[in-house]
Parts: sequence; structure tokens; C-alpha cells
Amino acid sequence: MTEAAFLAPRRRATVYEAYEAPFPVPRSDAEAMRCRESVYRADLVNQQVLVRDPAHIELLYGQGYFGKGILSRARPDYSLSDRWQEFEGRQIPVISKARYEQLLSWRRDYLLSKGMDEEAVNQILVRLSEPIEPATESEEAGLAQSEDSSQKKRKRSSSIDEQRRKYCPYQDRPHTDPAPRTGSSPVDDSSPMADSSPVADSSPVTDSVLDSAPGTDPAPEYVLVEGDSDEEDGGSGGSEVNQGGVRRLPFSTTEVLQLTLEEAFFLVYALGCLSVHHNQKPLSISELWGRFRGVQPGFESSYAAYHYYRSRAWVPKPGAKYGAHFMLYRKGPPFYHASYSVVVEQVRSSGVSLRPFTWRSLAALSRITANVSKELMMCYIIYPADLSEAELTSPLCLHRLTVQEVVIKRWISSRERAELDDI
Amino acid sequence: MADPSKTDDSERIFSELLSPSELFAARSRSRKLPVRGQKDFYPSGCTQQKQRLQNSLDEHWELVSEERVERLGNLVRGIWNPSDQIVELQSPAGKFWQTMGFSADGKQCLQPEEALYLMECGNLQVFHRDLPLSIQEGYETFLSSSQLSLQQYQVFGHLKRLGYVVSRFHASSVPSLYERQLNLPPSRDRGANQLKRKRSPSPEATATVASSPRPSEKQEDSTNPSSAQDKATNHSQPSAAQQPIPESHRPPADDDVTGRSWWSDGLVPPEQQQDGGPSPGGPNSRWDFLSIQFPDLGARDTPGPLAPPDPALLPGAMAVGVCSVSSWLRRLNTWREKQPGGNQRRRREEEEERARRRTGPDREVQGCRSWAEYRRIMERRRKGSRRSDRRPAHLWEKDVTPLHDPRQGTSTAELLEKISVVKPSRWGDKSCSVEAVGTWQISFDVHQPAVNTEFRKSSPGMPYSRMCVCSFDGPVPALGELQQVSQQSGHVPVTMAVVDHGDISFYTFKHFLLPCDLPQ
Repeated sequence: MTEAAFLAPRRRATVYEAYEAPFPVPRSDAEAMRCRESVYRADLVNQQVLVRDPAHIELLYGQGYFGKGILSRARPDYSLSDRWQEFEGRQIPVISKARYEQLLSWRRDYLLSKGMDEEAVNQILVRLSEPIEPATESEEAGLAQSEDSSQKKRKRSSSIDEQRRKYCPYQDRPHTDPAPRTGSSPVDDSSPMADSSPVADSSPVTDSVLDSAPGTDPAPEYVLVEGDSDEEDGGSGGSEVNQGGVRRLPFSTTEVLQLTLEEAFFLVYALGCLSVHHNQKPLSISELWGRFRGVQPGFESSYAAYHYYRSRAWVPKPGAKYGAHFMLYRKGPPFYHASYSVVVEQVRSSGVSLRPFTWRSLAALSRITANVSKELMMCYIIYPADLSEAELTSPLCLHRLTVQEVVIKRWISSRERAELDDI
Repeated sequence: MADPSKTDDSERIFSELLSPSELFAARSRSRKLPVRGQKDFYPSGCTQQKQRLQNSLDEHWELVSEERVERLGNLVRGIWNPSDQIVELQSPAGKFWQTMGFSADGKQCLQPEEALYLMECGNLQVFHRDLPLSIQEGYETFLSSSQLSLQQYQVFGHLKRLGYVVSRFHASSVPSLYERQLNLPPSRDRGANQLKRKRSPSPEATATVASSPRPSEKQEDSTNPSSAQDKATNHSQPSAAQQPIPESHRPPADDDVTGRSWWSDGLVPPEQQQDGGPSPGGPNSRWDFLSIQFPDLGARDTPGPLAPPDPALLPGAMAVGVCSVSSWLRRLNTWREKQPGGNQRRRREEEEERARRRTGPDREVQGCRSWAEYRRIMERRRKGSRRSDRRPAHLWEKDVTPLHDPRQGTSTAELLEKISVVKPSRWGDKSCSVEAVGTWQISFDVHQPAVNTEFRKSSPGMPYSRMCVCSFDGPVPALGELQQVSQQSGHVPVTMAVVDHGDISFYTFKHFLLPCDLPQ
């Protein structure tokens, strides 16, 4: 069998970004001394690995294209609005009244789908869309008032503040940070539909999915709504949003970077520049390996393939769009079109296949891959026969695995003939 | 070939010979193929569509059931030999003999698939027990054996109709590794070897006497004239050691920098003319250029002194020491002398520019005026970083530690080296071979279409590809089977022909090693 020829990757027509670095680690001692922190922080929430600190997000995506912003297409650059304004020492987005009402209606639909009745939903929305007074005291009071009542919740609101300060270390940076997207209010829950309106929603209808790490009660985000009339502050604010003013956002719009399990483990194990926390407790590498293997069957093989491609300086991104495990990019998605569609297969004595193929499914995958001008590559992870199950529980088993790549192409008999005739 | 005019109610005699009118009718049949119109994508249920569909089906049926008319004299006679499963020809073969068939015991013979193909083409008539076989009987008889299945025949027919030359695969025709190693080099090289061996001693002796501390050039890569400091250090061919080629094509301009002049033109030309001939062309086939190392003396981190060459490559009892390159490096990148006059200020500014660029983007470092300041800055930073940035205990104090510490700056190449833990395996490596489930056999050799009749059956050369036929409903080959099939085939690529009730798709599985993409 001959070796498949390597075709150079196709460059994208217009490139809007500059290439920074292949990995988010310093490349020289001078760089090492310049960067402030060498280890980034991520949280393991509901089997997802999320990075919340905007500075870390910037670095992790900018150098190596790790992860995906949950509110963005790829690069985490979601921002609610193009215009920002200052409010109490931080930047809040400015949106139109119509947009705010649209957001409220989404919130309403969500609450209704949870099974709450109209009355309660309307009440919550009224409380939510109350205009916020600029003074900080009234803000706190407003927060306490809008909660359902009692003192324990008032205590909680002050503890919210503390949590807020503890949990988002970047809060004292809003002035220095030029980019408006990081100036928005303190960190919120992982999912965008998390309860931002305080406690009232959370107690009866808390979704287990929305349970975030304890101690981070969602703090409300603010937005400046531009009404049709001239900007008037606050006002009595009925149930309708007919005046402008600062109001709470019905749900969180803070951008969070989500890493796939392979990316997270690579950053932790190979580069040592990420530390994953679960319930505020940092996880060691073996624990992380065990957890990831439990979450995703076949994690060892797909991670071995990911590690291999990263060590050859290619960028693997998730390939679910094209029916493969990974898409391989040279340098990164903004620069070149993906060259290869990789399907990972494990070759073990136990013989279990990660993705059993029939000729029909292989033909379909080959056709899809050819239609998007990529090459289909099978990545076989070969396990030595004497590798026991016990060894697999530690990531050191990776040192014993080998990788074999096979490129699958369709040969068209008539085309070759036609080409020959032309000669 | 029915003769409808002779239908008798009591006896129906089918004569194969046509009457003149029938022959004329057959000859003047229209040769047009039906035109392919626009495809309809879903049944609309209207009668027009149904009618159109029925029309095209009828046309199709008519074409397929058309009788073929041939001249009796054109048909080659063959006899089916069931014991050997071959067809022996009784009459001389026609044009197809160029690419098909083989000779055995002085007789021309055909394989069953070739015979069936020729029968379908209308060139051959096969007799069995003195009766000619019909196409249907041909299919039944030839394809019933275990050697040839219907699917293999379909692939054969498909490729032949496209013009390829398809023959059966014989495992013995694949040359083994030993046979390939026995290939002798062409004779032209051997002549050049001898010539050089005679001529080598003189220029070396005089040249090396003149410059003892410097490493003498032993092998010259005549096709790569590079900078003055290079030398071929390791050379894989032991035969090349016997005839060191005098360096001929070095541009003399580099002499100014290195000060070497002992290989001036005076010594070399007579050899140059004679050896210059074979050297560019001849050694190419013997020299392994990929293994010649050139030390990179322009690199940032200065390399150590150059190692002495292998004593086996030196003539006589000459000893060459280690060559220190520091003196040469000092002469690289030297600035020109400052010119007196008005240019002085501009030059100063240029130098400051360069100095600023050299110190890097760090503002603090650019601002400092002396080395002492710089050292203070670095010390402060180091202390600062050490205070705030300790290695996270949960990563480093446990049993498995990360492969890299991000507090140390490492270049990308070194980092990639560090994290290359999962190794690629080489194809054909015995240690990484996987066992195969089931056996896959290669059926055919496929050669490119024989244009200009340059294909010779006696020495067909390497096939373009080998075919392995399988069914669409069967399993997909896994790595073990791919390795097994590629071992059977040697160096020829293997194509899988997947047959789905007459529809054939071809897939190639080629091994690959992703190149490492080091960023600058």
C-alpha cells in the first residue's frame, strides 16, 4: 500500500486575525516573566468544563484556539450591544426597548414552560423589569425588596455580594479594561437561562441542570434600556417597559468559554496551564482522567488522537458538523480551511469498535467529506496486547499507545481514464 | 439468433444463419443511444410521467434484448476445459491477444473471466462437448467455481470496458524484499567509481598539508553548493568513502570570509573536467542526501566547535582535530565602519534603532541605560514572579504530573518534542501489526489502458493498482485486514472494489503520516 500524498491546506480568502501563538504558554523566559499568571482556571459544571474569567478566555482562545464561546459562533466575542455606557463604575450595554421586551418575553416563555402559572410569571417579570436607581444603597435595597421577603434572604443578599467579590477577581478591573465585553457585571451561572432574578424563581422551580457551583448565587446583570421618549431615570415603572432606564437583564449574557473534555485534559496534562475545579475543589490529573473517562466512553482513544495531533502542531476542533470526531486545521480555523476529517478508531484485543462502519455508512461519510473538499482520515489507536484495564485508569497509559493514520479516498475509474486520454 | 420467417407450427427450427433481408435489417439498425433527459425527483402520479417512464423502460428493454449479429468467420473458437478451468483456443486469437490470455503447452488459453467477457463482446465462441455455450450457460459454467465469483467478474468487466488491462493476481509475482535489495546499481556508476578512485589521492594530500587545523572536505555535495562552513559529516554509503570527490563547484567569493584558499583553482581543474562529468549525474543515485548534516552556524545559540570527521574518510594516517568556529562567527554580521561626516548622526540613529529592536518589545528594558539596571529589573521580576506564582499543588504534588511547566519559557519545537508522548507507528512495522479477522484476497492486477500498444504481456511491469473485491453488504476492512492486504501486494496500492448488485464503487485506503507543522 502506498503512502497517501500530502496536499497543502487551502488558505482562506480573507483572514481577519493575526496569529499569536500555538499554545497559551510562554515561549521564552522573557515572556514567562512578563505574564502574570501561568495557570488558568476552569470549572467542571455538569460534565462541562467552563472557563469564566474573561482574561483567561481571551488567552485560551487567542493562543491555540481552545474551546468555544457558548454564546458565540466560535471565538467568544458575544456582546449584547455595540454601545456601552458607564453605570456605577462598570460598563453596561445599551439596548433598545423592543429588544428588552423581546428578552423579557423569552424569559416569560421559559418560566411558563417550567409549569408556572401566568400570575406568578407576570409578577416575576414585573419585579425583574423594575428600573434601577443609580445609588448603590437603593440598589441593594431594591435587590432585597424584590426578593420574596424574609431576613434570611437579606442576609443572603449581602453574602451574594461577598460571593460576587470572591468569585470574580476581575471586578476591580472595569476601568482598566478597555474591551467593553469584559466590563459587564459579575459572573453568572453556566447556562444562559439561569435564574438571575433572585431567589423567588430558584426555590420552587430550580432545575437541577441550572444548579451551579454553590456559593455563586446569580447576581443580576444590568442593561440600559432606551425608551421611545427621552431618557428618564427610573420612575414608577409599571408592568410595561415604556420608559428608559437601567433595568435588570432577565438572564445572563456573560460569555463563557466551554472546553471539550479532550481540550481541557490536554491543557491540564500536557501543558500544565489549566486547573479544573469541581465544587471549588481543584482536581488532580488522575481524578480528572477518571472523571472524564466516566463521562465519555472511549475517552482514552479520542484523547490519544487529540494529543497526537496537537503534538504535531495541528489544531483539532470537534467535527460533529461533518460526522467525524475531529477536524484538523493548520494553525487555526481563521487561517486555513480544515484539511482533514478524522474518525478515531481503537484497535484493542477486546475488539470493541468506537464507531462500527458498514460500507453504506463509509460511503456516506466519504461522500460528505468529498463535498466539503476535505480528506477522510481514520486514526487508529493501537493498544498493546498486554495493556491491562488497571493501567488504563492512569493517564500514563498514553505513553504506550501508538497511532496509525489511514486516508480513505474514493477512486473513480472513469475519471482516470478520461484524464489519461487528454494526455 | 432466431429466424422468425421460418416458424413452423410443428417444428421450430432456429437457424443461426440470417437470410439476406434479415442481415440487412440487422446491419441498418439505428445505432443511436437513447437520450437521457431531465430526471424527475419524485413521483407526481400523473399519467404523463407514468407514460414517459414506461417508454424509457421499454426502450431499455429493447436495447438489452437486442440480438447481436456477428460474422462467423470473426468468431474465435474455444473449448472449455472444466478440469483446468480454462478455455483453450482452437483458432488463432485476434487483437485481444495483446492484453488477454496466456500460453500453455503451446496452446493459447484464456481465463474464464476473459472468455466470458469476450463472449459478451461477441468475439469468442466457446464449445463444451461440441456445443456452443450461450451467454447464460457461460455465466453458469464459468462463474460457478470457487475461484471466480460473480462480483469479481462484474469488477473485471467494468474495468475492461473502461479500457484497463486486468489480469489475475499471482502472489508469487510480488518481488520479495530480498529480491529488491539485490538490484545492482547501473553500470555507468561503477565506471565513475573506478575513475575517481584512481584520481583521489593527489589533491587531498597537497591540500590538507597546507591547512592542518581546518577540517578537510571529504565528500563534496556537488549539487548543493552551500556556504563556506558546511561539510558532509556523516555519509551513509560506505562505498563513497573510497573516492572523495574534490570540491569543485564552491564559489570562490566565500574565501574572503573564511580565509581558506587551499582549494584554489590551480589544483582542481584537471580533475574537474573529468570528474565533473559523472559527478553531478552519477553519484545522485548513491548518495543519500537526506542524511548529510550541515551544521547551522548562523543559528542564534552558538553551536559548539565542529566535530572532527570520521577517520575512515580521511586518507592515510591523518588526524584532524576539533574545529572551533568562534573566530569565523565573529566575522559574521560585522557592521561597516562609521563614515566620517554628515552620516554620523544618521548612523547613530540607525544603531539606536537596531539596539531597540534587539532589546525586544519590553518597555522597561528599552528604558534602562546600563547592564546593572537590566540585571536589577530581571531580578525584581524573577522575585516577583516567584512570590506570586507557585506551582499548583494539586497538579504537581500528586502521582501524575503535567508534561510541561508553563512557568518556564520553552520554544515551540522543544515543547512539541516534550509532549510527543503518543507515537505514530510506521506502516509495515512488524511490532505494530494487528491481527486480521477473516481473509481478504487480492483478485486482479490492473494496468493503465494500453495506449500505443506499449503493453507487453510478457513483462507488464508494476501494475497501476491491485483490486480486492468485496460485497457491499460485507464488513469494512479494519486495520488488521488492511495491513494483511498491503503485505500481499507489496508496493502496489490496493483498491477495494465494493459491489452492490452491479454498482461498483472503488475506495483506496492509504497509510499516511501527518507532517509536523512547526510554526515560525
